[in-house]
Amino acid sequence: MKFAFFPGCVLKGAAAEAYTSMQKVCEALGIELEEIPNWTCCGASHAQGVNDLAALAVNARNISIAENMGLPILTVCNTCTLQLRTAKYRLDHDAALKDKVNAILKEAGHPYEYKGTSEITHFLWVLDDHPELFEGKVTDALQGTKIAAYYGCHILRPQDIMSHEDGKYPESLERLVRRLGGTPVWFDAHRKCCGFHAQLAAEHDVLTVTGQIVDSAGRAHADLIVTPCPLCQMQLDMYEPEGRQAVQSSVEIPILHLQQLIGLALGMSKKDIGFDRHVSAQEKLKIG
Amino acid sequence: MATLRIHRFVEGRKWVQDYTVEVTKGMTVLEALISIKEHQDPTLSFTCSCRSSICGACAVRVNGNAELSCEKLVADLIARYQTETLTVEPLGNFRVIRDLIVDWDPKYARIKKVKPVVHPKDEFSAEDGCRQSPADFDKYKKYAGCILCGSCVSECNKNTLNQKDFLDPFAFVKAERITADSRDKDPKEHLKAVLDAGLWRCFNCQECTAKCPKHLDPAGAIEKLKAATFKYHLDDNVGARHAKAIYDDIQESGTLDESKLNIKSEGFFMAGLRAPMALRLMHVGKMNPLESHPVNPEVKTIAAIVKAAEKEEE
Amino acid sequence: MSREISRRTFIKGAAAAGVVLAAGSYFTWNGRNIPEKVQKGDVTYDVLIIGSGGAGMRAALAAAENKDLKVAVLTKLVPTRSASTMAQGGMNGVTGVTDPNDSFESHAFDTIKGGDYLCDQDAVEYFVERAGKNIYEMDYMGYPYNRQDDGHFHQRKMGGHAHARAAYFEDRAGHAMVHTLFEQCLAHDIDFISECQMLEISMAGEKKDKLAGVVAMDMRSGNIIGIPAKTIVIATGGYGRAYWVRTSNPYSSTGDGIVAGMNVGIPFKDPEMVQFHPTGLSVNGVLLSESSRAEGALLVNKDGERFMKKYAPEKMELATRDIVARGIATEIEQGRGIGEGITAGVYLDFTKIPPERIHQRLGQVADLAKRFAGVDITKEPVLISPTCHYSMGGLEMADFHTGETRVPGIYTAGECSCVSVHGANRLGANSLSEVLVFGHTAGDGAAAYAKEHKYEGSQDQLTKDSKKWLDSFEEVTSRPHDGNRTVPEIRDDMVKTMWFKAGVFRNGPDLEAAAKELSVLEDQYKNCYVGDQSHIYNTAYEQYIELGNLLQISQAIVQGAIARKESRGAHTRRDFPKRDDKNFLKHTLVFKEDGKYRFEYKDVVVTKYEPKERKY
Repeated sequence: MKFAFFPGCVLKGAAAEAYTSMQKVCEALGIELEEIPNWTCCGASHAQGVNDLAALAVNARNISIAENMGLPILTVCNTCTLQLRTAKYRLDHDAALKDKVNAILKEAGHPYEYKGTSEITHFLWVLDDHPELFEGKVTDALQGTKIAAYYGCHILRPQDIMSHEDGKYPESLERLVRRLGGTPVWFDAHRKCCGFHAQLAAEHDVLTVTGQIVDSAGRAHADLIVTPCPLCQMQLDMYEPEGRQAVQSSVEIPILHLQQLIGLALGMSKKDIGFDRHVSAQEKLKIG
Repeated sequence: MATLRIHRFVEGRKWVQDYTVEVTKGMTVLEALISIKEHQDPTLSFTCSCRSSICGACAVRVNGNAELSCEKLVADLIARYQTETLTVEPLGNFRVIRDLIVDWDPKYARIKKVKPVVHPKDEFSAEDGCRQSPADFDKYKKYAGCILCGSCVSECNKNTLNQKDFLDPFAFVKAERITADSRDKDPKEHLKAVLDAGLWRCFNCQECTAKCPKHLDPAGAIEKLKAATFKYHLDDNVGARHAKAIYDDIQESGTLDESKLNIKSEGFFMAGLRAPMALRLMHVGKMNPLESHPVNPEVKTIAAIVKAAEKEEE
Repeated sequence: MSREISRRTFIKGAAAAGVVLAAGSYFTWNGRNIPEKVQKGDVTYDVLIIGSGGAGMRAALAAAENKDLKVAVLTKLVPTRSASTMAQGGMNGVTGVTDPNDSFESHAFDTIKGGDYLCDQDAVEYFVERAGKNIYEMDYMGYPYNRQDDGHFHQRKMGGHAHARAAYFEDRAGHAMVHTLFEQCLAHDIDFISECQMLEISMAGEKKDKLAGVVAMDMRSGNIIGIPAKTIVIATGGYGRAYWVRTSNPYSSTGDGIVAGMNVGIPFKDPEMVQFHPTGLSVNGVLLSESSRAEGALLVNKDGERFMKKYAPEKMELATRDIVARGIATEIEQGRGIGEGITAGVYLDFTKIPPERIHQRLGQVADLAKRFAGVDITKEPVLISPTCHYSMGGLEMADFHTGETRVPGIYTAGECSCVSVHGANRLGANSLSEVLVFGHTAGDGAAAYAKEHKYEGSQDQLTKDSKKWLDSFEEVTSRPHDGNRTVPEIRDDMVKTMWFKAGVFRNGPDLEAAAKELSVLEDQYKNCYVGDQSHIYNTAYEQYIELGNLLQISQAIVQGAIARKESRGAHTRRDFPKRDDKNFLKHTLVFKEDGKYRFEYKDVVVTKYEPKERKY
């Protein structure tokens, strides 16, 4: 199984541990990743709010490089997935728009045109569709661990574009947790928004919701939260102390990237998955 | 058979009441409610009018998600949630009057904030109407389809936290419907109003878009309004600077330079107040201001794409 | 307390999530739906409009152009929930924009012929001369018209019209109109007195001939309020709900304003003229658009026969609404339909149309059939039968230049009124234009009256009438169930009577029987069980009020139909199959006096369009 890998900015920056653990986990699962050469930022859910067509063209460029590689695209960030899939959805449903964008790519001297031949998928969806990848590899490391499966927004919504499952009743993450030997716990914020994208413009509200989410998982007696989105992970991990303050909670729990949880389930150590780079709950992770 | 677990509220008393209905072919949630009212409990209260998804009177929340009750089949919900017990509540982010009936009055006041009316250009008149190209009509026609059912705000994450500094998604839809209408003489009037009403505080959580029964994409309307504020040079605020910083990073290096984003967005002073956070991040190696940010070798092409697109948009 | 997720607990949790996360505030009434000055009773409105559909809001905007007048709109729902939103086709008006050959004469002729010559021709002339102007005006108000290349609104041709003259927004012309008018009302700060069910028009003076105002129930508080007004405009919409499940109308089309008007002496004009659309879903009456047949859907009976060949051998399915409706009704009546009783129907078969075309052009039809009948129309036919679509009859408009009724100070417009421009049968896209033209006229008329007259009513009268209704509320809602029939039970019987004995086909004996059955139901209604004593948003009581209105409307329809011994337009008498211009080129006027109906007739106004046989 081979993909053109779109890591996204944070995996190369603040969430480098997500990048290294992704590499290790994919190797262990037999997923081959070839990074899209010279990819650019997906727009981080903000660029279209400055100039929609420019944001679209930039992503058409990203996709076209993968098309030239002859590979489907694999992402590991909810927002990157949404941005890329939105671009693809719009270009595939509007021939005039596709022509316009291709003219822009050509004028700028980009060598490939956007064709629409590469699918774009998220790491979670691949794993959900391919349980055989785990056969014989899962250890009992997560046995008895109560895990709050936190989806975030962009992997579920909007439904037309993020169509892997019913966004109003998702189950893929819980399914995966179970497959990894963990015990999913229900917590009421599992589909809520972490607020990452409005951190600067609505700081107080965002810290409140950050606190609510972590607190909600804590009240469900989760040992850790896992999320398929590095932005959600950063928000919940980096701002956990401020979040606690905002909602007067005492909950302190580790927030793991999806690939980190898989790494632990496959028998990797905390160090292997880069847990030392986390801000919160360093003492609370009892696995690995 | 299905059990509707309905959140009741009458004269200050709150309780949850279960009703069992036989699910007939094509039975909508509204028909189930009507059947309960007519055959089991005349006190159950809700509103409805057209029962064909155009009047917007009957939206309720089922298992935590807003639905137009007249168009949602009970059988489909049973299939989605894999249970015969469906919890029906009034819409979220509304005040409840009784049972499933919510209060629209404050919402109208909120719509008013975006100055929701076309002020036609001076060359137009009531006698001779206006002129508009089919292409210009296409720019806003989707948003003219809003039925004011309130589904979009029911699970809006920002509204749930704080309604005071942020409008309902349908109000933004209305603003975009007017702003993008080429007949209007001063889009800035509406844009200033939506900026004051919290445009940049949207979480971009897409709940509104996921819930809109008319597929109007309110979250997309908010993005269009944001882009319009740049077009009309109304971009002197934190949210706009942050978006612009990201946009510029793409042209300048291809990827985000996280260590400088806050400074670009908030200025040196505000970013300085975040020093404790920055230290925390540096401590675990998440941020290294001394590290130079790599530049994409194709950055010239990328910048050219952005420029070409900007030119095309004009 | 953690737990393994089972599907069931997960759902329980999801439900609980709603509670935790919603944590919304609950309501204590502080009357924000009603302007403070109304609550305090220190406002007398110059113009009080009843109903917030197209006619009501257009009237409000017209009246509010007079800055010194106090104008308000009272509505039983909140604005934008009205029947007007459901109109699909467009609003007619001669502008020459799309078809330069169009003319006032042509629009007038089409309308009069369509109405089977029961239209008042001077009113139609007034109407067509203004309909085009209203299209331009709506453009200036921001109506989202579909455009043509020269930048003008585009106009399309509707059934029964000789020219393309209906301007529109997609297939939601009425929805766009209501929201455009609502935007304007917000911009003009017009008072809305929302969620108030009108109970009565209150008249003062010894002879009860001075308008005092309106008595209404504020649904939120249960308070009965009396709102003094110098003039009122009744714009409460039609009465299609007399046929309940066999109508395309919203639940709110219950003829409230017509009954209130009759109670103060305004005659109900042409009540028997009720239009049936041929293709409503059998299961609930929801309309499947005319475009179904235009795109090639076939009508088939239970024997697999394309029966329209018997009724319109040339046009087949494409014959006019009334002919197709009668064809379908005949098949069902003669046992060639599918199913029994009120939901019996015939098949509308789309399977010969390529699925791509269905998705492209009949998306909404496919959606409605799937949703309500559970049928995928690309694979199997869907059951349809005629459905009551429009009420041509309504409160008599005494002067179409002003919108006034014969009671001073009371005006009317829209579907609840009868001008009459639609005569015995309304043409497509004439209703929205009627709403605009006469909404505007009535708003102007009422404003002019208000400027010239003092308030002659009395607050005491309003208080007295309010008290009477409050007592009635207490009595009605506290009735025990034992032995008394419920509101829905009586309503369902009413519908059976109306559908089978006063529906698409009518005849003397059936109609006589219907009148008797309705009288029995009226008696039962007097003691019926409502079952909800709360004052707060008591929709059970509201439905009780609405049923009372529908019973009176139904009786008027039936008695009007008994007396009209001819077939004209939508009114089809099996025992009198021909139009009879000698005896019935006349309007029915029903007066309510001492609880009984008295009939008068008024000649139709003919200007230059001599009645001819109506053929298409």
